[in-house]
Amino acid sequence: MSVLASEATARPAPVPVRGSGPRGPRLSTRLRAARVPYLFLLPGFAVFVLVMAYPMAQAFRISLHEWNILPGAESTFVGIANYLRALEDPVFWKALVNTGVYMLATVPAQLALGMLVALLLNRAIKGRTWFRALYYLPVVTSWVVVSLLFRYLFVTDAGLVNYVLVDILHVTDTRIAWLQNRWTAMVAICALGIWKGVGWSMIIFLAALQNVPKELTEAAELDGASPTRRFFSVVLPMLRAAVAFVTIMLVIGGFNAFTSIYLMTGGGPGNDTQVLLTYMYEQAFDFLDFGYGSSIAYILTLIVFALSVVQFRVFRYSEED
Amino acid sequence: MTGTKVLAMLAATALATAGCSSADPASSGPVTVTYWHGYNETGEELQTLRDVVIPAFEKAHPNIKVKQVPFPDEALRQKVLGAAAGGELPCLLRSDIVWVPELAKLGVLEPLDAKLKDFDALAKRTFPGPLETNKYRDKYYGLPLDTNTRVLMYTPAALKAAGLEKAPETFEDVRAAAAKLKGSPVKAFADGGTDGWNLLPWIWSAGGNLLNPELTKASGHLDSPASVAAVQLLVDLRNEGQLPDIMLGGTGGTPTDEGIAKGEYLSTLDGPWTFPIYEKQFPGVTVATSKMPAGPGGSVSVVGGEDIVMTKSCPDKEAGGEFIRYLLSDEAQLEMAKVGQMPVLADLGARLTSIKPYYGIFVEQLKTARPRPPVPQYKKIESLLSQHVSEALKGTVSPKQALTDAARAIDAVLAQD
Repeated sequence: MSVLASEATARPAPVPVRGSGPRGPRLSTRLRAARVPYLFLLPGFAVFVLVMAYPMAQAFRISLHEWNILPGAESTFVGIANYLRALEDPVFWKALVNTGVYMLATVPAQLALGMLVALLLNRAIKGRTWFRALYYLPVVTSWVVVSLLFRYLFVTDAGLVNYVLVDILHVTDTRIAWLQNRWTAMVAICALGIWKGVGWSMIIFLAALQNVPKELTEAAELDGASPTRRFFSVVLPMLRAAVAFVTIMLVIGGFNAFTSIYLMTGGGPGNDTQVLLTYMYEQAFDFLDFGYGSSIAYILTLIVFALSVVQFRVFRYSEED
Repeated sequence: MTGTKVLAMLAATALATAGCSSADPASSGPVTVTYWHGYNETGEELQTLRDVVIPAFEKAHPNIKVKQVPFPDEALRQKVLGAAAGGELPCLLRSDIVWVPELAKLGVLEPLDAKLKDFDALAKRTFPGPLETNKYRDKYYGLPLDTNTRVLMYTPAALKAAGLEKAPETFEDVRAAAAKLKGSPVKAFADGGTDGWNLLPWIWSAGGNLLNPELTKASGHLDSPASVAAVQLLVDLRNEGQLPDIMLGGTGGTPTDEGIAKGEYLSTLDGPWTFPIYEKQFPGVTVATSKMPAGPGGSVSVVGGEDIVMTKSCPDKEAGGEFIRYLLSDEAQLEMAKVGQMPVLADLGARLTSIKPYYGIFVEQLKTARPRPPVPQYKKIESLLSQHVSEALKGTVSPKQALTDAARAIDAVLAQD
C-alpha cells in the first residue's frame, strides 16, 4: 500500500485525461487501487487456468477428434461425430438412465434424512456431540474402503444383508443376488450413496438451524402451532438457502458418482449398472477411445450445468415469491 | 620424431575422449535394461526372477544390469498406456498377449523380427498359438514368454456325488451331466463371465469362430450355425438352472474356485495358476483336470499368457535383446516353470511334467488351443460379444439374434481401423 501511495505522490502533475478535467488524478489512483484485488486473485486464477480451464479446453478439443494418445501423433478431426454417436449408443442411454435413477433415489433421501437427523441432534439431548460425530463419520471415510465394504455386505451367499433378510428376519427364503441384477444392484449402490451422504447434509442443516431465531418458533408455539406446522411454516422457510445449496451440490454429486459403482459392480453385469462416468472411463481408459470418452464427459457437464441453472432459477423464484 | 609422437598421442586421446562423449554416459559402467512386469509382489515368480534369473543373467553379462519393476497386474495396462502417452516406457515389458497388437498399433513397439537377427530361430522353438499373439500386420512385435490355457477342472468328490463315472468329455456329456444334476443345488458348469476368454473355447470347440481368418469381420463366423450352437448349449444350461448367475459377469456370487472346492459347481474351465490357490485356500481338496469338452470342432481351448516386447524408446536395444534371449533360454524357462509359470518352448514338453505333474494336461490342451484374435480393438470387440451373449443368457434375445447383433457391431468396430 505504501509503495502505491508514494508512487502516486512522487509522480509529476498528471496530464489531464481527456474529458476528465480535475477528476483525473483521483481516477488514476482509483484505477491503481482497483488493480490490487486482481493481483491477489492472480495466483488462484493461474492455478484455475492451469488445472481446470486448460484441461477442459483440451478435453473439448479431444472430443472433436478420433484421438491418438501418443505425444506428437496425428489425430483425425471428426467434428461432432462423437456426440452423435452417443445419441445412438444404447449403452450411453442406459448409463444416462442409471445416472438419473441414482440421482433421483439418493438426493431426496439424503435431504430428508439429513434434515431429520439435524432436527433431532439440534435438541438438547445427551451425547449430542457424539451422535453428530458418528453421523458425520461416513462422510470422511474413504469411498474406496466403504465401496468394497458394501460390496461384501451385498455378496449373495455370505453377505450380511442376505443373512439378515433370510436367516434372521425371514423376509424371504431365497438369497437375493444383489449385485448380479440391474435394479437390485442399483439398490445396493444407492444405499451406499445415501448412507455416506446423510452426514454431510446433516452438518449443513445443523449449521443453518442455529440461525433460526428462537423467538419465531416460540411465537408460533404460543400461537398453538403444532411441531409439524412449526417446522414447515417457520423453520423450513428460514432454511431455504441451505436447502438450495445442499440440493444443488447433491445433484451435481449424484451425476458424478463413480467410485462406488466402479468398485461394487464395475458397471456390470453386462453394462446394466453403468453410469455416465464409469462408461466414460471405460471408453477412454479401457478402449483408448479418448474422443468418445471426452464427448461423454462434455454431455455430462452440459446436463449438470443445465440442471444447476434450472435449480438456481427455481430457488430464486421461490425466494422472491 | 618426438613431436610426431606427442601429436599422435594427443590425437589418440582426443579420439578416445570423443568416442566416450558421443556414446551414452552410462557406457563407462554397465548399461541398464528396465523391465516392467505384473508378477505378484509377494509371489514366488517374482522371487525367482529377482533372486535367480536376473542374477544368473547379470553374471553371464557383466556389462548389463537388469532393473525389474513390478506393478499390480490389474494396474499394469493403465501404467503402460500412461507411460506410452508420456513417452516414458521401459526397455522391456512383459505384456499380456492381448495387449501386443494394441501397443503395436500405437507405434510404441520395436518389431522384434527385424531387430533380433536370430528371431526366426527363437520363434521356431515356441508354441505356434502363443507366437501368433505377437503378430500385427505381418510383423512380429514380441516373443512368447509364458503360456497357459484353460482345461476342465472338477473334484472327484463332486463327480461321485453327481453319480457320474467320468468328467464330461463332449458337449453331449455336458448336457447329460446337467440332466442328471437337474433339481439338485449343484450346477453342472460355472464360469465368471462372457468374455472371449470364457466363450471362445465353446465357440471354437463347436466349430465356430469369432472372426474370419483375415481378422476383418465377424459376420458369417460369429453368427454361423456352429457358433450359435455353442451359445445355445450355454443358454440351455442356464435355462435348466445349471449355469450360475456369475456367468453374467456380475460381482457378489460364489467364485468358481470356491464353488468347485465346496461342491457347489461340478466343473469349470481354469488355468494352472489355480493349483496354488486351491492348495492355499482349500487345503485337502483334490482338484482333477480333463480336456475342454469336445464339440463338432474338437476340443479347442483358449491361449493365455504373456509376451515379451521391446519398446521403441529402449535406450540400449542390443542389451534388451540379450535379456530377451536369456528369458527364452531353457535355463530361465525351466527356473520359472518351477514356480508355476508355464514355458513357451514346445520341446520342453516332456521335462515339464517332472517339474509339476499338472503341466501335462496343459501341454496336451495347448496343441489345439488358439489365441484370441490379435487385433488392436480386441477389448472393444470382447465387450460387444460379452454384452450380446449376456442378453441371450438372460433370455431377452435368441442366441442366433444375439450373435447376429454382436457380429454386426463388431464388423463396424473392425471397419473403423
